[in-house]
Amino acid sequence: MTEIATSRGTRRALIGFFGLLVVFLYAPILILAVFSFNDGDVSFPLAGFTVDWYRRFFANPKILRSLERSAIVAGVSSLIAVALGVSAAIALVRRRFAGKSAVSALVFSPLVVPYLVFGVSLLVIFTAVDKFLTSTTGQYIGLGLHAIVIGHVVVSLPYTVLTIIPLLERLNIGLEEAAKDLGASPGQSFRRVTLPLLTPALVSAFMIAFTLSFDEYAIASFLAGRAPTWPVYLFAQLRVPSQLPQLLAVSSVVLVVSLGVVIAAEIGRRVAERRYGGTVRLQNLP
Amino acid sequence: MATTGGVAAGEAADRGWRRTDRRGTAGLLGGPLLWLLLFFVVPVGFVAAYSVGGVQLFPTDTGIISLASWERLLTGGSVYMDLFWKSIGMSLTVSAIVVLLAYPTGYFLALCVGRRKYVLLLLIIAPFLTSYLLRVLAWKVILGDAGVINSFLAWVGVRGAGDPITWLLYSRFTVVLVLAYIFVPFVALPVFVSLDNLDQSLLEAAADLGASRWRTFLRVTLPLSLSGVFAAFLFVFIPTIGEFVTPLLVGGTSGYMYGNSIQDLFTRGLDWQTGSTLALFLLAVVAVLLALFGRFLRVRAVTP
Repeated sequence: MTEIATSRGTRRALIGFFGLLVVFLYAPILILAVFSFNDGDVSFPLAGFTVDWYRRFFANPKILRSLERSAIVAGVSSLIAVALGVSAAIALVRRRFAGKSAVSALVFSPLVVPYLVFGVSLLVIFTAVDKFLTSTTGQYIGLGLHAIVIGHVVVSLPYTVLTIIPLLERLNIGLEEAAKDLGASPGQSFRRVTLPLLTPALVSAFMIAFTLSFDEYAIASFLAGRAPTWPVYLFAQLRVPSQLPQLLAVSSVVLVVSLGVVIAAEIGRRVAERRYGGTVRLQNLP
Repeated sequence: MATTGGVAAGEAADRGWRRTDRRGTAGLLGGPLLWLLLFFVVPVGFVAAYSVGGVQLFPTDTGIISLASWERLLTGGSVYMDLFWKSIGMSLTVSAIVVLLAYPTGYFLALCVGRRKYVLLLLIIAPFLTSYLLRVLAWKVILGDAGVINSFLAWVGVRGAGDPITWLLYSRFTVVLVLAYIFVPFVALPVFVSLDNLDQSLLEAAADLGASRWRTFLRVTLPLSLSGVFAAFLFVFIPTIGEFVTPLLVGGTSGYMYGNSIQDLFTRGLDWQTGSTLALFLLAVVAVLLALFGRFLRVRAVTP
């Protein structure tokens, strides 16, 4: 079969090309990691091995605080996005209603709206609401983590829906009907039958939304106010060259963890899909 | 529910289910729709109203409804339109490069690798799902005047220490390179899917009929995978028109893009009304592109 598509020479060329592409994709990341262990500034020649930058980063309260903020924003926004995503997915897959195509267009539209446009829109509306509140009640909401959470839920929602829908489509609807026939209320059949079967998809949806939110910069940069999340803090600190090695240390840790999470999410979903007898498909990656 | 087994009771129960169903549907959709309406549709609509003067947030805003800011943008050779066309040019370049890199990748994975193709695909895609900002930062570190490449060249004596290659960073070239780097993993997927779905018996048929491999590729494989290629192109083109983070980090003044002017108007220039007009224009351009080419981008079709 493969001989029909390509000759041996082409095949070799393609293997070489693929190898080079992998190097192109991973070398910059590896270079970040290498220099995070370098006992000197970020240039050649390498000056020797040190874990000093890592030690400093673990002792730097500002970095830790920004990581904590990002974790909070990512955790909260992903939980909301998964909850909203599962109900939207069930409605889209299991229910018949008027205007379904309009609803699905709306749910998926954050995929194509530039984050820049969405970010400034939230900035403008928060400012407008605050202006109204100060003039009427003297109170105001202000920017900050809550604003970022609101924005990240919107952009994560299509990804969670896309992750949940395929498993939902493959789930045997007979199981839900059996629960109904045995006298379960819709709520009971959802809690006792559908939800447990959906768990793998919910977990991957959460992980995808979490990684998306954790290092999202474009939207957060407009809404952070005086509470910089990790990417916003990183961006601001890039102007200080002496900080760079330390930032590379944090970056390496974040990259390794997020790569791990992404791969775990993917493997988890494939195991789940195999268990339901489906073919392995990478259909919900963005 | 104490059903007696009678037909009437059964029907009543059925009707009961259907009714809760309808209420259930509203309950299911209520949350997500309300969230998107309040925090997505309303803000974007508000920005639209703001751009035509329907709202006044700052004393400097015109409080009168007029299309003046739109007129300034679209006519009379505004700097912003020049920047817009420059960004379009850069986005087209990036999209072309990315497709040229992604196509052989997708082809290799779909047609030359056996069972391991999904693992290798994940290897390519995984970087996209990790930090965007960090991957841009990596290039800033690599390409800077005192960065990895220049310090390496000075170290091995190819170039003098005081004579770095300066165009590596802060140029249009850098922005295109880094954006291509960012988007290759993303776009390998639609190309792969279109080639993976290809009915391979067509290739066998072409071979049986005496077509060479090259001819089979040009007449069968390529035409059948064109929808994936278009999708890939748009998947890069649409988000890169509004790009501002990469040019901000590695673009300098010559890599400055349309999106940067929007960000500047909101964060430094504090002319939000013009900024809103520019943002909405960008959104309109995306909408037009989607209306024209959206059929290539059907989410479920690209990721079957």
